[in-house]
Amino acid sequence: MKKITRRSFLKTGATAAAATIAFPTILSKGWYAFAQAETAGYFEREFGISEAACRKVLAQALAKGGDFADLYFEHTISNYLILEDGKVNRAASDIGLGVGIRTVKGDQVGYGFTQDLSEKAMLAAASTAATIADASGREPAGKFVALKTNNYYPMTTLFSSVPLEAKLPLVQSVNDKCFALSPSVAKVNVVFHDQQKRILIATSDGAKAEDLQPKSYLGATVVAEKNGKRERSSWEYGGRREFSYYTPALVEKLAKNSVDRALILFDAIQPPAGEIPVVLGPGLTGVLLHEAIGHGMEADFNRKKISTYCTMVGKKVAEPFVTIIDDGTVPHLTGSINFDDEGTPGQKTILVDKGILTGYLHDRISAKFYGVNPTGNGRRESYQHYVVPRMRNTYMLAGQVPPEEVIRAAGKGIYVEDVSNGQVKIGEGDFAFYVSQGKMIEDGKLGAPIKDVNIMGNGPKMLANIIMLANDFEFYEGGGGACGKSGQEVPAGFGQPTALVKSLTVGGVKG
Amino acid sequence: MKQELYDLADKAIQISKSSGADDCRVTIGGERFVQIGYRERKPETIKEASTKGLRVEIFVNKRYSSQSTSDLRPDSLKIFIGNAVASTRLLAEDPFRTLPDPKYYQGRAAVDLKQYDPDYEKVTPESRHSFVKAIEESCLAKGGDKVISVSAMGYDNRSEQLLMTSNGFDGYQEATIFYGVAQMTAKDEGDRRPSEYGVAVAMSRKALPKPEDIGADAAARTLSLLGAKKIKTETLPIIIENRIVGDFGDGFMQALFGRSIQQKQSFLADKKGQKVGSPVFTLIDDPFIPGAMGSGPYDNDGMTAKKRVMIDAGVLKDFYVDWYYSRKLGWEPTTGSPTNVIVLPGKRSVKEIMKDLGRGIFITGFIGGNSNSTTGDTSIGIVGQLFEKGEIVHPVSEMNIADNHLKIWQRLAEAANDPYPYSPIRVPSIVFTDVVVSGI
Repeated sequence: MKKITRRSFLKTGATAAAATIAFPTILSKGWYAFAQAETAGYFEREFGISEAACRKVLAQALAKGGDFADLYFEHTISNYLILEDGKVNRAASDIGLGVGIRTVKGDQVGYGFTQDLSEKAMLAAASTAATIADASGREPAGKFVALKTNNYYPMTTLFSSVPLEAKLPLVQSVNDKCFALSPSVAKVNVVFHDQQKRILIATSDGAKAEDLQPKSYLGATVVAEKNGKRERSSWEYGGRREFSYYTPALVEKLAKNSVDRALILFDAIQPPAGEIPVVLGPGLTGVLLHEAIGHGMEADFNRKKISTYCTMVGKKVAEPFVTIIDDGTVPHLTGSINFDDEGTPGQKTILVDKGILTGYLHDRISAKFYGVNPTGNGRRESYQHYVVPRMRNTYMLAGQVPPEEVIRAAGKGIYVEDVSNGQVKIGEGDFAFYVSQGKMIEDGKLGAPIKDVNIMGNGPKMLANIIMLANDFEFYEGGGGACGKSGQEVPAGFGQPTALVKSLTVGGVKG
Repeated sequence: MKQELYDLADKAIQISKSSGADDCRVTIGGERFVQIGYRERKPETIKEASTKGLRVEIFVNKRYSSQSTSDLRPDSLKIFIGNAVASTRLLAEDPFRTLPDPKYYQGRAAVDLKQYDPDYEKVTPESRHSFVKAIEESCLAKGGDKVISVSAMGYDNRSEQLLMTSNGFDGYQEATIFYGVAQMTAKDEGDRRPSEYGVAVAMSRKALPKPEDIGADAAARTLSLLGAKKIKTETLPIIIENRIVGDFGDGFMQALFGRSIQQKQSFLADKKGQKVGSPVFTLIDDPFIPGAMGSGPYDNDGMTAKKRVMIDAGVLKDFYVDWYYSRKLGWEPTTGSPTNVIVLPGKRSVKEIMKDLGRGIFITGFIGGNSNSTTGDTSIGIVGQLFEKGEIVHPVSEMNIADNHLKIWQRLAEAANDPYPYSPIRVPSIVFTDVVVSGI
C-alpha cells in the first residue's frame, strides 16, 4: 500500500488487499566496520549463543505445546555513503541485533522478540510466543544438525574489510562521470549502500542454519536543465555482490544510463489514455510479473482463499510459450537466498509451466496446510517480524523471436523501459505499475519518449494476453529492489524478455 | 524509564565529545507494543515485544554522519561511537552541517498535547482480545454470505523518545497509540474476490470508535466493490475520499521540502507568493492539536514548533525547510518535519456534493501510481464508485487518473465537511473538476 515519490528505490508490496514495489532513495543511513568472515559459530563466538541456550529457549517457546518453534538470530550492519552537491559529505550506519522467537500451532503464530540476547530476555520473549498454544508442553529435539546448502553469494572480501578510503572515490567518481557527460546536468546525488546480515536459525525439529547475506548497490539520481525545463532520472546497480563488482566500467555504465535517461525526458510526450497494446522491455519490467502473478501465488493468500488465483492451479492461464519462475538460486541476484528465514534451502519454484499454473510459494505453515514440501519462500524483514511467504527473484523465460519483431507486432502502442514501482490487489487481481520512462510505438517502430505513466491491468487477464516473447531475456541487475507485504520489506529480483501484452489500461492525460 | 534515557543520552554525548566530536545530537527511543490478529474466530497471530534504539549524529571538523544501533551494551556503544567519530573525519567537508542556533530552541509551548493515554496501563490481555473479537464478529455479521475471509487486528503501543543535543537542547515525549483494523474479502463474479479494510487509529483508547463500527465499515466498503466494471475513458469530476487524500497529496507535499528545492527537484521552487491552487485550497500545518498524531512541541532538529499556513486560498506561502537546507538555501528555517496537515474543510457532505456534480467518480482507493516532484506529473490507479446525480451507479476498477500537480490543484472545486481523524493528514474529501479518467 506504499508508494514512493522518487524513483531510485523499486518497491513492491502486498497486503491482503494490496501490494507495492519500489527502488532505493538517497536516504540517511551510513557505514560501520566489522570483521570475521566465517559464518559457522558466529553467534556463539560473538554473543555466547550456545546450543544449550537455544534448546532451553525453544523449550520455553513450546511450554504450552504447539507444532514447532524456531529462533531467528540476526546481526545486521548497514552502511550508506551519500554524495550531494559534488562531495561525499554524509554517511550513515545502522546496526540491528536481536532474536525473534516463534511458536506455531496449525496456522496460528505466537511471536516475541528481544534485542537483549541474555538468556533471561530470550526466555521472556519465548514465553510471549508460547501464549498462542494452550496445551501441555513438549520438548525440542535433543541435538541440532547444521544445514548445508549451496552458496549463491560467496564473498572473498567482506564489506567490513574494505576501508572507507576505498569506497569514497567510487562514490565521487559517479558524480564526476555524470557531470562530464553533459553540460545539461545540474545536480547529481549518489548513494553507495552495503549491508552484511548474519543470521542463525535454530528450530525445535533440530535444524540449525547459519548464513551471511551481503547486499549492496550504487545508485545515481541526475537532474538535468535545458531551456528552462528540468527533468530527473535515476539508475542503480547492485545485488548480493561484493565491493570488487563496482568497477570503473560499471561506474561508466551507471553514469551514462542515469544521464541519458534524464536527457531523453526533455522530448517526452504523454501517451493517449485508455486500452492499448503494451510492449515490456527486457529486465526491470519483470516488476509486472511480480505484481500480476507473483503476489497472488503466495500460499498464505491462497490458503485463506483471498487470492484471485486460489482456484486456478492446474488450469491454463497463459499461452504455452509462457513459463514463469520464482528462484532463490540465481548467483548474486538481490532476491537470492541460500536458505529462507525458517531454514528451508534456497530453490527454484515454477509458477507457470508452459501456460499451466503449477503451484504456490510456500512457507512451512502453508506447506503443511497443502501437504507439500516448503518451497523456500518463508522470508522476513528482520528478527522483529515473523515469516510469511514471499517471492525471491521472479522472471519469465525467453521466447524465440528478436525484440524488433515483438515491437513490430504491437503496431501502435507503448514500450515500457523503466518502472519505478508497482502494486496489486490480491483478491481482484488488479495491478498497477508506474512507468517512469518508455517510448511510443507507431507503425511497429519505437517513436517519441514517454514518461510518468501509470499502467493498470488485471493479473489473470494480462497473463492470457501475453501474445509474444522475444529472445532477449535479462535479469534486472539492481540491488535496491524491495518488496513490501504485511508491513515488511524484503529484497526481491526481477527478470523478463521483451514481451507483448495485447492490451492494458494506460493512464495518460489525453482523453 | 525517563531517567534511563537521559542517562544514556548524557553518556552518548560524553563519549562523542571525548572521541573528538565538536557537537552531536542523540535520539533515543523505546517502545512496548502488543499486536493481536484474529481470523476464523481464533487468534491468528499474537506478537509482543519491547524495543530500544539510539541514533547519534556526529558533527566533527565540519563533517557529518548519522549512526544508529539497537546494541546498547556499554562496551559496544563506546566502540560504536568512537568508530563513528573517526570515520566521520574521512568524509568531505560540509560547512552547512551544524546544530541549529540555540535561539531556535526557545519559546517551546508548554501545553499538554494529549499524546499519552494515562489509562494505557489498565489495558488488559482480555480487553485486547475482546476488542479484536468484536471487530471480527461485526465484519462477519455485516458481510453475511458474501464473506470469503475476514481478518481483524488490534495494536497498541506505548513509546517514549528523548532528543538531546550537545548545544543545550533536550526534549522528552511519551505517546500511546491504539488501532483496530478489519479486512474482508468477498465473493464476486468469476475469480474476482474484492477486498477492503476498515481502520481507526487514535492516541487514546477512548478516542477510538466502537470496535463493531470498524468491522462493519470494512464489510460495507468491501460489499460496495462487488460487480466493479471498467468504463470508457472520459473527462469527469472526481471526489477523492478523505482517508486517501494524503496518498494523492503526497506528490504535492514532496515539492514543498527544502531538500527538493535545493536539489532542483521541486516544481514549486520558484512559486512562493504565486497562485498554485484554487481559492478553496488552504493548507495549514498545525502542531498543536490535542490528541492528534502529528502534534509535538519541537521538530527533529529541536526547533520550536509553530503553526504555519503553507497555502492560503491558493497562494503558496511557505516551505518545509529544515536547519540544514535552510543554510544551503540561505533561507530562514521553518521545519523539515510536517506535523498535522490540514486542508480547510467545507460545509457540505460528500453526498450533497455528489448531487451537484452530475456524473463523476468517487475515489475510495488508489493502486500503484507515483508523482514526479521535479515536474509535478502524476498518474495513479483508482478504485471507487461511478455516480450520477447523487446516486451510486456501480463500482469501477482497473482505471487510472493522470494530471499535473501544478494544474490539478487549480481545479480544486470544493472540500467536504469530513476531515479525516485517524491520520496526521487531517484532510476532508476533496473535489477536482475535469480529470481524465482512463479506462477502456
